[in-house]
Amino acid sequence: MVFLSFVNCMRVKGPDKFWKRRQILKLAAHFYGRKRNCYSIAIRSVQKALQHAAYGRKVKKLERINLWKERITAACEELNIPYPLLMENLARCDIALSKKTLADLAIWEPRTFKCLTQIAAAKNQSYPPTVKAALQPPPEGVITRGML
Amino acid sequence: MNRPISTYKRVQQWAVFGRLWFLFDAKWQNPFDSAEKIAKYLAGKHKPIYHPLSDVGDHVVVINTKDIALPNKEWRYRMYYHHTGFAGGSSWTSAWELHNKDQTKVLWKAVYKACGGSLLRHNMMERLHLFPDDKIPQELMENISDHMKQLRPVPKALHEYTEEEIKNFPKVFEWPEDYVLN
Amino acid sequence: MSHRHLFLQSGFIKTNLQNGVGRFVNQLQRINLIFCKSSGSSKGVREFIETDLVDFARANPGTVVYLKPRRHRGTYMCAEYLNGHKDYITCNNFTRDEVRKWLEYMKNKSGFPIIRLRKHWHTDHPSIQGIWNPFTHKPSYLNVTTFPEKERSEYQPLMPSATEQLLQIAEQVGFLDNSNTNNTTTTTRNTENIPPPLNMSDEK
Repeated sequence: MVFLSFVNCMRVKGPDKFWKRRQILKLAAHFYGRKRNCYSIAIRSVQKALQHAAYGRKVKKLERINLWKERITAACEELNIPYPLLMENLARCDIALSKKTLADLAIWEPRTFKCLTQIAAAKNQSYPPTVKAALQPPPEGVITRGML
Repeated sequence: MNRPISTYKRVQQWAVFGRLWFLFDAKWQNPFDSAEKIAKYLAGKHKPIYHPLSDVGDHVVVINTKDIALPNKEWRYRMYYHHTGFAGGSSWTSAWELHNKDQTKVLWKAVYKACGGSLLRHNMMERLHLFPDDKIPQELMENISDHMKQLRPVPKALHEYTEEEIKNFPKVFEWPEDYVLN
Repeated sequence: MSHRHLFLQSGFIKTNLQNGVGRFVNQLQRINLIFCKSSGSSKGVREFIETDLVDFARANPGTVVYLKPRRHRGTYMCAEYLNGHKDYITCNNFTRDEVRKWLEYMKNKSGFPIIRLRKHWHTDHPSIQGIWNPFTHKPSYLNVTTFPEKERSEYQPLMPSATEQLLQIAEQVGFLDNSNTNNTTTTTRNTENIPPPLNMSDEK
């Protein structure tokens, strides 16, 4: 007796399985132990790793902005101007330099950064927010020609 | 391939990342406020090249720690906890008692706390040098290149004014000759 | 065992960026073709050697071609570049055309490895004004001062203190110019020096 239709009852797994698993195992190639070789263990680690990567992509941007802010604050304190004063007055002067550019200028072009702080101080002088600020001497070396 | 850098570039690297020595006079200063500033310098946050992973902190030499000024009732009521590790070895010491035993400890603990909880803290504390009075070893004195600005004005006591200054200071009125001042 | 080398490396651009500006120098220093004389997987490489290799060598006079017949080993080509970097490509079961194309690919590369670039730009002169150093904004008199220096260490208040304000007022009004005794009012029994009433609008 030959059962020809019995073969049709066998469930065939799709051809994609090898490639899908290979895709996961490729992402896990640098993991430790069975996590890099065994699919059912690797899939868990890979999913966690991808979650970490997604979260990290957002955090990386925030950390970078924070670092720029710290660097600009440090450069400002050296030049005797507070950071919020610098940012507010540069914005008031329509100098739309990003935190990244300001931090880079502070490191690579320190004299330009000093000039920016002086511009901010001069702008602050033109409409001092408090009595205390009004009593401060105007910044040296700034020629506004009434443009601020 | 890593090429060796030129002499000019090497000197430039040393100039940018050189570690400075700062001097801080703690006379009449609040140790907790000064500790925040000192920790900032130890971490390197006063430099525009700051990065937490690159070790850009500077040395800070603090003098006159015996003359620190704690606010309000802190001398009496700020307590420091210590446990020797043995049974019954816990103790609470007030700030004035600790100051009597070791005149640098109050500021040391304040800076230790201000440094944060990271693993870099011990590294930063290694770069802090505390002295109760004016006397600094000559080796440290030679390294110092700048002052850290104080955070509070140092009040001038009456005995620090010269006789001339007292005499010439403008008075609105003069006490009567036979008036007794307490 | 560490598999960290399999993780995608990252780095900064270190290529020879001025290569085509003047003379163009091909970055491929030498290319090694390792194959087996008898195995089937090196058939394509053997065919390439018989037909296209000499043309390739003539077309690239700056590159040295080495042939390494090794029995019972896999087929691959190893390219070495002027910056010392080495690149390997396995050539098992390649056709002659494939070998030729991959060889062209190796020849056209710069020696810089294929990694994630942290910055897509590079300059040899990042600073025009001079890089910041701790002494950029410090006054030069610090070089000749002996520490501790009171002026450098003192707290600089933004507002004058009450005492200083009083002294300023006294100076304006003229208190400090007269001697101390003239400033006394009539609370004393000493009736000789009775000053005139104070007029704050008087300016000297």
